[in-house]
Amino acid sequence: MAELVTLTIDGQEVSVPRGTTILEAAKKIGKQVPHYCYHPGMSSPAMCRLCLVEVEGAPKSMPSCVTAVMEDQIVHTESKQAVGNRAGVLEFYLVNHPLDCPICDMSGECDLQDYVHAEGRAHGRSEEPKRVFGRDDFGGDVLFYGDRCVMCTRCVRFMNEVEQDERLTVVERGNRSVIDTFFEEGLEGTHWHGNIVDICPVGALVSKEFLYKARAWDLEHTPSICPSCSQGCNIELHTRDNLIQRIKPRENLEVNGWWMCDYGRHNHEWMNRGIRLEDPSVRTLDGAAGPMKWRDALEQLLQHVGVMGEGRVKAVATPFASNEDLGTLAELVGALGGGDMVYRSVRVEEEVVLKGFPTLARRKDLAPNTNGAELIGFTRVGDDQAAGGLEDIAKYDGIVIIMGDELSDQAEDFGREAGLFVYLGDQQSPAASNAHFVFPLTTFAEQEGSFTNIARRVQRFSPALEPSGMARPAWLILGALAAELNNGDAPRSAADAFSGLARRVEAFAGLTYQDIGIRGAVVNETYVLSES
Amino acid sequence: MSDVPLKNPGWAGNTGEFDLTEEQIRGEDFVGERPLHGGHSSVSATMPYMLIEKNPEAELFEGEYQERLKKILTRYPKKRAALLPVLSMVQELRGHVSPESMDRVAELLDLSPAYVRGVATFYTMYNKRPVGRHLVQVCTNISCNLCGADEVLAAFLECTGTELGETSEDGDFTVIEAECLAACGFPTCVQINSRYFENVTPADIPEIVKHLRAQVKESA
Repeated sequence: MAELVTLTIDGQEVSVPRGTTILEAAKKIGKQVPHYCYHPGMSSPAMCRLCLVEVEGAPKSMPSCVTAVMEDQIVHTESKQAVGNRAGVLEFYLVNHPLDCPICDMSGECDLQDYVHAEGRAHGRSEEPKRVFGRDDFGGDVLFYGDRCVMCTRCVRFMNEVEQDERLTVVERGNRSVIDTFFEEGLEGTHWHGNIVDICPVGALVSKEFLYKARAWDLEHTPSICPSCSQGCNIELHTRDNLIQRIKPRENLEVNGWWMCDYGRHNHEWMNRGIRLEDPSVRTLDGAAGPMKWRDALEQLLQHVGVMGEGRVKAVATPFASNEDLGTLAELVGALGGGDMVYRSVRVEEEVVLKGFPTLARRKDLAPNTNGAELIGFTRVGDDQAAGGLEDIAKYDGIVIIMGDELSDQAEDFGREAGLFVYLGDQQSPAASNAHFVFPLTTFAEQEGSFTNIARRVQRFSPALEPSGMARPAWLILGALAAELNNGDAPRSAADAFSGLARRVEAFAGLTYQDIGIRGAVVNETYVLSES
Repeated sequence: MSDVPLKNPGWAGNTGEFDLTEEQIRGEDFVGERPLHGGHSSVSATMPYMLIEKNPEAELFEGEYQERLKKILTRYPKKRAALLPVLSMVQELRGHVSPESMDRVAELLDLSPAYVRGVATFYTMYNKRPVGRHLVQVCTNISCNLCGADEVLAAFLECTGTELGETSEDGDFTVIEAECLAACGFPTCVQINSRYFENVTPADIPEIVKHLRAQVKESA
C-alpha cells in the first residue's frame, strides 16, 4: 500500500495513495468532476479543459485529471471559479455543436447534455454560422457524426493505446479538426472498435446496430456476464419491450477492465429468438406429444424413473448453462445412481487478445461455462464445431437427459432406443422429437445464475427478460426432481442451488452468492493448487 | 538616400528588373537551387522548394532521393521524428502530398497511415491536392487586409482566371489565401512558390502574372 495523502475536497477530508489524481480522489467521496478526455483506462492529455478545479494556492485552475494530490491541499470543485470555468468551456463546446439531441442516439446518456444542463448557460452567445461536417461511415459498426464531436480524442487513444491499431487520427486543425481514419480505410478488421462507441462522451460515435433502436431512458440495465466466450466479460444487458437491444461492458478490472470485444457485443440476436419451447410436454404411448402442467409432467417423469435400473444415465449438457443448472443436473444424475456426463462446445483456432489489456481476449472457447462444467464433472466430447461425440448416447437404451444442447448435428432417430429420454432446452429440435419428456428452459438472460470463467472466477448474472411461456430455469426443475428422489429440500432460489453445489463440489466449497457479489470470486484456491 | 534605387528583394515590379538572379535577390549567401542530393544533411529538407520543378513521374525515394531520405534519417533518434522533412520531400517531388504518398511514407517510417494523414493535414503548408505550377499565396491577415489584401486577392483570381483554391485550366496557377506570412511591414505580401512579393497592389498584378507565364514558357 502506497503512502496515504490527506487533502480536503469541497470541505470533505479524504485520504488517498500518493500519486492519485484529484479527479479520482474526488470520486472517492462521491464528487464527479465533469470531464471528457480523461478515461481511467487510457492516458490523460488534459485537453478538454472541463475538469479544471480550484486549488488553493495555485495561480490558476488545475486540470484535476492529471494533477496529483498533495498533502493538505484544499480543492474546490463547486466554487465560483470552478463553476465559472466549466460554464465558459461548455459555451465553447456548444459553438459548433448541432444540438440535435432529439435525433441523437446518445441523448439521455450524453455527458455534454448532462453537463450543460447542470452548469451551462441556457443560451449561447455565438452568432456565427456553425461549421458542418455531416456524418461518416467508419466501417465496422461505427458511424461518426463530426458535428457532435467534442474532440476529446478518447477514441483515437483507445485505438492507439488499447487496441494498438492506429486507425483513427485527428485530421486538420483548429476549428476544422475532425476525427477520421486513413481515407477509406475505416475500422474494418479490428475486433474491439465497439468500445469507442462506449467511451465517446457525446453522440459523435454511435453504433450502427443500435441506431434509432431505443432511447437511452427507455432501456433497463441488467448486470450480466457475456456468454460468448469463456473470458466472462462483465456486461450490462440493455432491454426494452422484453428484448435485448444492446450489450455494454461493465467495469471489472479483474476480468475485462472497461472493454469487451465486438463479437460478444453483437452476439445477442439469439437471446431474442421468438420461436421457443413454451410448455412442458409428455409423449404418450401412441407417440403424440401434448402440453402439460409442470406438476403433472414432473410426477409422470418420477413414475417412469422409478422403473429404470440404477446407474443407467447418460447426460449431455451445454456449457451455456449456469453452474447452478449443471450442478443440479449432476445431482439428479447422482440421485439416479450415477452415469456419464458430457458436454460439447465450439472452439476456434485463435484467441483475439486486446493488446493494451492483455488479460482480456476473445478466448478460443466460445461458451461461457466450460470451466464450470469441467469442475462439476462433465467431460468434453465431440469436435471443435460442437458436433459428433454422441454416438453411444444416440443408441443408448437407458436414461438419456439432454440439457440445452440442440443436437443440431444429430439424426432424427437420436434416442429412439432410449428407455427414458428427457429433453430440456429453450429450442425445439428435430433430434428431440423422440423425447418422452420435453421441458422448456429459460435462457441465461431470463434467469439468475453464475458462470465460471477461464480463470475459474465465478461470476453472477441477473435475469433481464421475462421467461418465455412456462419456461423455467433448469436448476428449479432438476432440483425439484433430485430433491424428490433424495428426499431432500428443493432449491428455492439460484442462491440455494449454488449453496447445494458448494456443498457437493469441492471447487466451489465455501463460496456463497454473497461472496461472489457483483465482482465475482475465484473458486476455492486449495482446489486449484492441489490439481496443478 | 543613396543614389542606388531601393530594391525590394522580392518584387522587381517598380524597377522592371525581372531578370534579377536569385543571388542578386537573396544576397551572396544564397546557395542556389537545391541540388538534387539535397545539400548538407542539416538542410536537406528545409530549403525552399519550387513547385515549377516538381517531378510527378519520379519514383518516391529512389536513387538520389533515397540517399536524401537516409541523410534525413541520420538527423533523428527515431524514424517517427523524420516525418515532417520526409513529407516536405514528397511535396518537392510531387507538388502535393497525395494519399498514396502518405501511405508510402507511413510504410517507410513504420507509422500508421492514419497518423501520417493526421500530421500532414495539421500543417497547412503541405498541399493535400495538386496545385498549379505557381502557387500564389496571398496574405489576408490583419496588416495586409487593412492595406487592401482582399483587392489583391480578387485581382489575382481575375488575372489568372481561377477560383479560390482551384487550379487554372492550363495548370499554371493556384491562388489561395494565407494567414500571416510574417511580412507585416510590407503589406500586401504575396508568396509565390518560395519567393515573397511585397508591397503588392492590385495594379502590379497583371505584370506579375505575365512574368510568371513567361517563366512557364521558358521552362517548357
